[in-house]
Amino acid sequence: MAETTSAGAGGGDVLLELRNVVKHFPLKSAKLFSTEREYVHAVEDVNLQVRRGETLGLVGETGCGKSTLARCAAHLYPVTSGQVIFDGSDITKFSTRRMRPLRRDIQIIFQDPYGSLNPRRRVGSIIGDPFAIHRIASGEERKRKVQHLMELVGLNPEHYNRFPAEFSGGQRQRIGVARALAFTPKLIICDEPVSALDVSIQAQILNLLSALQSELGLTYIFIAHDLSVVRHVSDRVAVMYLGKIVEQAPVDAMWAHPRHPYTDALLSAVPLPDPEHALQRERIILAGDVPSPIHVPSGCRFHPRCPKARPTCVSTEPELGVSMADSADHVVACHFPVADGEDISQSTPQIAEEDRVVESGLIAGS
Amino acid sequence: MSFNISGATAQVEAVSVAEPSVGEQQKTIQGKSPWVLASRRLRRDRASMISLGIIIFIVVCAIAAPVFAAITGHGNMTQYNTIGRTPAGQPVGPSSTFWLGTDSQGRDLLVRIMYGARVSLFVGVAATAVTVIGGTILGLAAGFFGGWIDSVIARFFDWLLAIPFLLLAIALFSVAVQSPIFGFIGPGLPIVIIVLGFFGWASVGRIVRGQVLSIKEKEYIEAARALGAGPWRIMFIDVLPNLLAPLIVYTTLLIPLTIVGAASLSFLGVGVQPPTADWGQMINDASGMFLYGSWWYLLFPSLALLITTLVFNIFGDGVRDAFDPRGDLYV
Repeated sequence: MAETTSAGAGGGDVLLELRNVVKHFPLKSAKLFSTEREYVHAVEDVNLQVRRGETLGLVGETGCGKSTLARCAAHLYPVTSGQVIFDGSDITKFSTRRMRPLRRDIQIIFQDPYGSLNPRRRVGSIIGDPFAIHRIASGEERKRKVQHLMELVGLNPEHYNRFPAEFSGGQRQRIGVARALAFTPKLIICDEPVSALDVSIQAQILNLLSALQSELGLTYIFIAHDLSVVRHVSDRVAVMYLGKIVEQAPVDAMWAHPRHPYTDALLSAVPLPDPEHALQRERIILAGDVPSPIHVPSGCRFHPRCPKARPTCVSTEPELGVSMADSADHVVACHFPVADGEDISQSTPQIAEEDRVVESGLIAGS
Repeated sequence: MSFNISGATAQVEAVSVAEPSVGEQQKTIQGKSPWVLASRRLRRDRASMISLGIIIFIVVCAIAAPVFAAITGHGNMTQYNTIGRTPAGQPVGPSSTFWLGTDSQGRDLLVRIMYGARVSLFVGVAATAVTVIGGTILGLAAGFFGGWIDSVIARFFDWLLAIPFLLLAIALFSVAVQSPIFGFIGPGLPIVIIVLGFFGWASVGRIVRGQVLSIKEKEYIEAARALGAGPWRIMFIDVLPNLLAPLIVYTTLLIPLTIVGAASLSFLGVGVQPPTADWGQMINDASGMFLYGSWWYLLFPSLALLITTLVFNIFGDGVRDAFDPRGDLYV
């Protein structure tokens, strides 16, 4: 659990490694013959390691590139540059054909339990898809395997012939889990698997996921924007902001000593069950919106909204590194990390006013 | 900063994982497919069911036209110059011999209308099939593959829409009268079906392309890709079934349009050629005779055309409502 230096190549327990992964999406230009192209900088130079058997939480605001990063890791999107190393082999340039056998080992559980199941197909056929695609089992054997999977995720196997519309959101998400489990994958990417569900149903699905993890030895990348969910399931957490990882730490260290002002602000926004306690707490209100990922701010990309911003933050981009007395696996990309007990809601930015103006909207301003 | 576990996670421990979330109604294990649900909704729609009854009646009439001709003893080509015409050579009105009167050639109008239904229905179905199949293939390719394939097909559609189809039909007809186009497309039915079918590609293709573009963004397509499904499998297993509902709706609404289109071509004299019975051609012929008081000759073929297109349209509307996702799912 000690080494997090991304340069340290493929340690035995590292299942997935992302090296300097960059993903840009070209924008369709409005002008017909314009040669200039603009890009959405969805993921910018991300280094990440996922160890076998752990759950890595990935948090950040909507549009910060979490899902894009996950899809790059699963080879659903080709990366613009950088490397994706899965289970010891560099899959970055793998063709669709070479990728096929690996598809069994990397699976995704999607956010929307309504959109991720084809409404025109029966549940049995949806869950049986992996077997059909990889031509593993057919007929009665496939049906038996599918029903076993349904049982595994807590669905009634007799509902084999039903359509997705006849299930509730939580049950649908179980169907999605069953489909992902078909070949007992090495890595499951959970892309906000519970954010579309009721709180009580969220708990069931989270428990199902963790029970399956211990039973089958699964590795998860768990994407979420609900911090209490992430805290509950993750071993380590990475915080993303505008396509970059700004802080990465074991979950307890992250909650005890948030170093990045952004992490600090996020954690201060988590609702507390105790109203007395909640009243006493200082909430950090960030100024403005997330800037456009098309025109990314210079230096530290968080500087336009950061209460602790200094001129250095506008000019130079901070690198991920250990700060203060943290352990080696707690890294942060900030020039002026937050000290324990510091209240950044009292700080005022020391930068020019025009550097603080935030372009609002996600895709606006092109 | 404090970090109590939120209410959600506290609840988590209480719920057991093993507890299966079983649906309440155990009795119906077989799921109701969207098709079953749609047809159930359709069967509840009285207007559609009446229309369907009339459509079936028209189809039966068309099929049974020779039988009826045999019963009455009036062949569809037979001219009754003595009993079927007035001494002045005009058509005779409805009577016990000729139920709907006769036409300008002294033929039984009812028998002619029944034979005309064969042509109209055949052209309606055949040309619509050409339209829907061609448009679906092109639209699917354009939407699914995108890129330059999409651009080429889109330009092709623009080109199709830019051609004045009526003028082309007339021009092709005069060419085909000289010698069959490509050696086999002669004047009459083949040209009507090809012209009507071909020029519908753009509209169907654009609908299909739009649908494919929206389906392509659905998460279940991404899920299929994540499972390792190839493009053909995704196209036929995941995309096409979702297109069928709008296609069926469009098809039922396209048939009456095509029937009217075919009748219009016949009316202009570039469609089905005499002596084959055809409604458009009858209406054309009758409009010249109307001056002399033979109202039945104009009225009955027009009514046949009107009722046929009307019931197909009402039925098409009913089909669309039945497939409407806003409708109640559990009828």
